[in-house]
Amino acid sequence: MSRNSFMGMLSQRFGAGIFIIGKLLRFGFFLAFIFFLLKGTKTLAGYNLNQTLFFFLTFNLIDVVAQFLFREVYRFRPLVVSGSFDLVLTKPMSALFRSLMGGADVLDLVTISPLVLAIYLVGRGLGPSPTDVLFYIFLIINGLALATAFHIAVISMGIITLEIDHTIMIYRDITNLGRFPIDIYKQPLQGILTYLIPVGIMITLPAKALMGLVSPWGVLLSFAIGVAAVLVSIRLWHFALTKYTSASS
Amino acid sequence: MSLKKYISIFKISFAQEFAYRLNFIMWRVRNVMQILLLFFLWTTVFSDPTRVIFGYDRAKILTYVFGILVVKALVLSARAVEVPGEISRGDIINLLLKPVNFFKYWLTRDLSSKALNFIFSAGEIVILFLILKPEIYLQTDLLLLTGFFLSLILAILAFFALLMITSFVPFWSPESGWGAQFLMVVIVTEFLSGGLFPLDILPGAVQKILYLTPFPYLIFFPIQVYLGKITGDALIGGVLIASFWVTLLWLVMGWVWRQGLLVYRAEGR
Repeated sequence: MSRNSFMGMLSQRFGAGIFIIGKLLRFGFFLAFIFFLLKGTKTLAGYNLNQTLFFFLTFNLIDVVAQFLFREVYRFRPLVVSGSFDLVLTKPMSALFRSLMGGADVLDLVTISPLVLAIYLVGRGLGPSPTDVLFYIFLIINGLALATAFHIAVISMGIITLEIDHTIMIYRDITNLGRFPIDIYKQPLQGILTYLIPVGIMITLPAKALMGLVSPWGVLLSFAIGVAAVLVSIRLWHFALTKYTSASS
Repeated sequence: MSLKKYISIFKISFAQEFAYRLNFIMWRVRNVMQILLLFFLWTTVFSDPTRVIFGYDRAKILTYVFGILVVKALVLSARAVEVPGEISRGDIINLLLKPVNFFKYWLTRDLSSKALNFIFSAGEIVILFLILKPEIYLQTDLLLLTGFFLSLILAILAFFALLMITSFVPFWSPESGWGAQFLMVVIVTEFLSGGLFPLDILPGAVQKILYLTPFPYLIFFPIQVYLGKITGDALIGGVLIASFWVTLLWLVMGWVWRQGLLVYRAEGR
């Protein structure tokens, strides 16, 4: 499935090239913004330039990996609206897996390696202990689990309401708030971003773990929230399937 | 008769926006979310109310953030984003056969979109103002307010031409319309026009290069005029340069359009 998706994308080389340039430019512009901002202010919510850059890079890693894996979510609505989802349901493959990961995006894949390298280089400058690195990796996996839960919830709501495009873009706008440490937000927004829509646990917490600012209990609690979110989203998916009417097929 | 025709297009286009209400409301919600990020970011930077940095105090930087919401609604809201699709699908032929001017038609539709977005952005500002209670800088100098409105009109005309030039890419490469628009509108314009941060936080050399492009005149320049950071000769000079860009971009737009029509074969119809 992924190979087919890659071939399809690469057949439109010019458009794909422009798209990659656009993504790299956006990343570069943001990086420049953070650099020049922190050059003037020295700190942001108590974090120095390297730390702020690390928050931004961690946000990008979660965001890009989620987009790479779950690009098919953006194409899910026409399947439900047209009734073509029937064809997915009747295949001997998990409909959830097919709907979620059936079309990985090669354009995002090519940006992952340089991003990991940048995280390694900036992260090394923060002088983390082996435990901090371990916590960081665990919490990144947990962040991706939360992103998976969000995407499952989006396609489940898509079956029930036939609306996906806006829900996924709102999800992305909310996660965009994690470009900077959530410490910059005031209550109650900070509380909402930590517990209700756990952008903080997805993005800010892993970066804080590498800086040695998260206790083992914090890591465990985050895991519990991640596992709970995935379980709830899978239940929502099964509930949504009972509401699928196969209309228009 | 001619004006009446475009007034009708304005009204129909305005009504069409309401046909997809959820679409529109979600678009506005997304704009507000972006502003919230900027608001809290700059509030954190200016947590000390007496701090002056990059030539801004707290009231001026927060006014800049709210100014982005209004200026973006007026300058960057456009229905002409549909033009690449119309060209690649061949639908543009319907418009070419009608007794309307292509550019006036899309400019009218853009203006209706801008009017609606402006109304909503004004409402959003009132709501955000009541919730966040930010310090806001109110400009009272009539000359600067006139300069602000004049620079806004020039920004609207310049962006229209930029968008159109980008939208004509499908004449030559039908599959690339979305990519070209993504690059020009979502990435380049958003950042280089000051839609995310004031451009004067950048080093002087970078600012000088940016000022050689039309982008700062879309968002950054009008807000700077409103804030009173550009006055006198600098204001007149800026308006003249913006006028030069509008003229040049409109000439280029007309030329690209004529070249596009020469290769257009109405595929898909």
